[in-house]
Amino acid sequence: MTNSIAEIENSKCIFIIGSNTSEAHPLIGSRILKAKEKGAKLIVADPRKIQLSFYADIFVRHQLGTDVALINGILNVILKEGWYDRKFVEERTEGFKEFRKVVEKYTPENVEKITGVRAQDIRKIADLYARSKSSSIIYAMGITQHITGVDNVKSLCNLAMLCGQIGRESTGVNPLRGQNNVQGACDMGGLPNVYPGNQPVSDGQMAEKFEKAWGTKLSTKPGMTLTEMLKAAMAGEVKAMFILGENPMVSDVDIQHVEKSLEALDFLVVQDIFMSETARLADVVLPGVSFAEKDGTFTNTERKVKRVRKAIEPIGSSRQDWDIICDLSTRMGYPMRYDDPSKILEEVAQVTPSYGGIYYDRIETEGLHWPCPNRAHPGTPYLHKDRFSRGLGLFHAIEYLPPEELPDKEYPYFLTTGRIYVHYHTGTMTRRSPSLNKEVEEGFAEINPRQAKELGIIQGERIKVFSRRGEIEIKADLSERMERNTIFIPFHFVESAANRLTNPAFDPIAQIPEFKVCAVKIEKVNH
Amino acid sequence: MKAMQARVRKLLEENKIDGFIGLKMEHGHPAPFMFSRENLGEMETLVVGDVRYPLNKALLKVSGQYPDLTFGVMVRGCDERGITELLKWNQLHRDRVIPVGVACSSELAQLCECYKPYPSDWVVGEKTEGIAKSKRLQKIEGMNQKERLSYWLNQFNKCIKCYGCRDVCPMCFCEVCSLEDRNFILTGKLPPENPTFHLSRAVHMVGRCIDCGLCEEACPSNIPVRTLYKKINEIVKEYFDYRTGESSEGKSPLNLLGEVTLELSDVNK
Amino acid sequence: MEYKTVLTTCGYCGCGCGLYLEVLDGQLVGAQPCKTDSVSQGGLCIKGWNVHEFVQNSERLTKPLIKKDGQFKEATWDEALDTVASRLKKIKEENGPDRIAFLTSAKCTNEENYLLQKLARAVVGTNNVDHCARL
Repeated sequence: MTNSIAEIENSKCIFIIGSNTSEAHPLIGSRILKAKEKGAKLIVADPRKIQLSFYADIFVRHQLGTDVALINGILNVILKEGWYDRKFVEERTEGFKEFRKVVEKYTPENVEKITGVRAQDIRKIADLYARSKSSSIIYAMGITQHITGVDNVKSLCNLAMLCGQIGRESTGVNPLRGQNNVQGACDMGGLPNVYPGNQPVSDGQMAEKFEKAWGTKLSTKPGMTLTEMLKAAMAGEVKAMFILGENPMVSDVDIQHVEKSLEALDFLVVQDIFMSETARLADVVLPGVSFAEKDGTFTNTERKVKRVRKAIEPIGSSRQDWDIICDLSTRMGYPMRYDDPSKILEEVAQVTPSYGGIYYDRIETEGLHWPCPNRAHPGTPYLHKDRFSRGLGLFHAIEYLPPEELPDKEYPYFLTTGRIYVHYHTGTMTRRSPSLNKEVEEGFAEINPRQAKELGIIQGERIKVFSRRGEIEIKADLSERMERNTIFIPFHFVESAANRLTNPAFDPIAQIPEFKVCAVKIEKVNH
Repeated sequence: MKAMQARVRKLLEENKIDGFIGLKMEHGHPAPFMFSRENLGEMETLVVGDVRYPLNKALLKVSGQYPDLTFGVMVRGCDERGITELLKWNQLHRDRVIPVGVACSSELAQLCECYKPYPSDWVVGEKTEGIAKSKRLQKIEGMNQKERLSYWLNQFNKCIKCYGCRDVCPMCFCEVCSLEDRNFILTGKLPPENPTFHLSRAVHMVGRCIDCGLCEEACPSNIPVRTLYKKINEIVKEYFDYRTGESSEGKSPLNLLGEVTLELSDVNK
Repeated sequence: MEYKTVLTTCGYCGCGCGLYLEVLDGQLVGAQPCKTDSVSQGGLCIKGWNVHEFVQNSERLTKPLIKKDGQFKEATWDEALDTVASRLKKIKEENGPDRIAFLTSAKCTNEENYLLQKLARAVVGTNNVDHCARL
């Protein structure tokens, strides 16, 4: 997030797109409601009638995968009406001309044809967002999990820059990160192209710095993404994998392919707390511990580094994950020894400018937002105050592209996936929690009641859902949340895994799979 | 603070209690903690302030594990009402609980609109007069029925079904909860069934709610459930002349019959 | 006899709510929101209120496992870690470091993520490091 969670509450207008906030990020959802109660205008754009839509000043259901068109439509109105922030555009951005040229084609009337959103609604959104004193954009995987994921995000950045709704309090472009420490995993260099703190591995100077810090020779060749790793495994080009606490066997797109790839490996190590679907395929399984059994830090979605504290001893002979990694490294001939995790974060601070001032003694009571370059720095609740990381903000001229797979005669419906309030990700933890499991025990497919009626499907009936990748059997759940041509399946449930159906088409830059759109057909199950 | 620390230390040293459930200042936050003879050295971290936690709930957990030991617990007016009621419901043993009182600040009493913001005796704070009639409740009562219905439906629609109102409630000790009865309330959707979910809980607050307000404080959606339960308490007072937790005499209106079996013949008479 | 609450950060979504884990005699017996935390402000979602439950689930892995003839066999830490160390070293020597790939974890701590990418880059010598951020 460019801005902090607390700032949401004082925003005058909040534009939520592709985020079912009250279910996937409930305590941010409640901030949005607090802002609403303080008088903020709420714009919700989502193909599903989500809970927050009840409180929206304007709610639109654009057709799946038409985000770029919708946002260009909004931009078009703002430009035409002259509601944009000329000073901000002049002083802090570049690329405006080319951008304007593309956006001019996206009149609300043209956009209505693509998105199904009425032209007058597009005008209203433009009015509310552009003319509010401080507007925040909030989005999640509904924006990113598309072949145009990067385009979608860039379009939202265009919107924020055009209106100068960034670099100030209670504004910004705010992606909500789905997993507790996905921000931290990125910050710590859990990516193929960067060291901790986003420092490129291909930059010789960076490599030199880390070579010095770590006392060893380093490769400047960027590595593979997960998707590339799996492809390479299938081709025999990757022989071994070490997987720490992740379960791509449920979370990844097109699971059949993941399984074959992992089975093709010579050697697979999985370090986890449960025998996950991925761990079953391993040659060696190392029992790590949960967050309750170790000290450390997580970095939440607002870039705040917060303490994790050990409450109980590790279960059985399981060991703290940091301790296992140190032991393994030492056995591989590179001694790694730290008295405790605070010493590891001290090393992080030495090599990572954005974490340079973050030490355990400073986050004892309250976390710190990075960037926090030195011990005296108070942290940075919102980014881009006087300049963007690259200097001037760059407008991108972006054309709308449809999703890779659209409904046709054979597979006539859209499928979209997501989370529900009870469960988390692949369910490895939540489905083993008695209270949560009791709340929702099995997967379901949300179908519009009229559509269900046409298909002769009744509430709770078991149905089959097919895509070009696979099929699943699942309970039908009739719900007005859905529009007629679209069904929704939460991806938590391995026995009715939505990701047996999803489409392995990827955003060319981010390599993110298009989880949010594919084409399916539905049949009754006749037992 | 010092007075509370001294009282607790004395109770522990004289073996009057085996543990004391209170608040400990740690990492700059007040947190529930049990002081005992083993950790007497930490007594200086015991704090009293306006931040409240469900200490009675912690007491139930600890005393359930150690039924033969005696525990002290920090109580305010509302907590004391809770203890009184928990004793009646046989959740605690009279000889095994020693409350140590705190009188609430006038700010807290105002915020809570508490009718008795102090326990029967206290070692910290000064007595503040109670508030007889809740302004928040009056405001809602001032609406006509249609407005009221719309107000509450709108409030309940914000619910994210965290069950925090129940999970934090020191008086929710049932082993089976009707909020989880699927024949009664559908699950899997947000918001939960409206108004069934919230009104079911409200009905079960009859004779239970001690008006501590922890439910409303725990609500991430700012639903004014406390005001709703204040109304429940008012009805219980008006129709059954029962004020929950006020006296150790009498039984909750939902528990009037106790174990007496109503014979069919009695009904036919 | 010990009852305490431990201030920590929720392990589920990216909100990062501050909460207390309740510990009675070394066992987790509950979770509740921290009233003075800047994110949770004294509230939690259903997952947060129950975040302690999965930790002590009877299906937790408690011993290292090595697969032999398609079956997992319990092993000591020495056996398991020596097996991993020697296999990875051998593959690195015979096929090169880029034949090995690592997934770090959005569920683990910053410190652990840092160490695992350091192991990949400094010890094995590859930048094949990713995690499930996109999923």
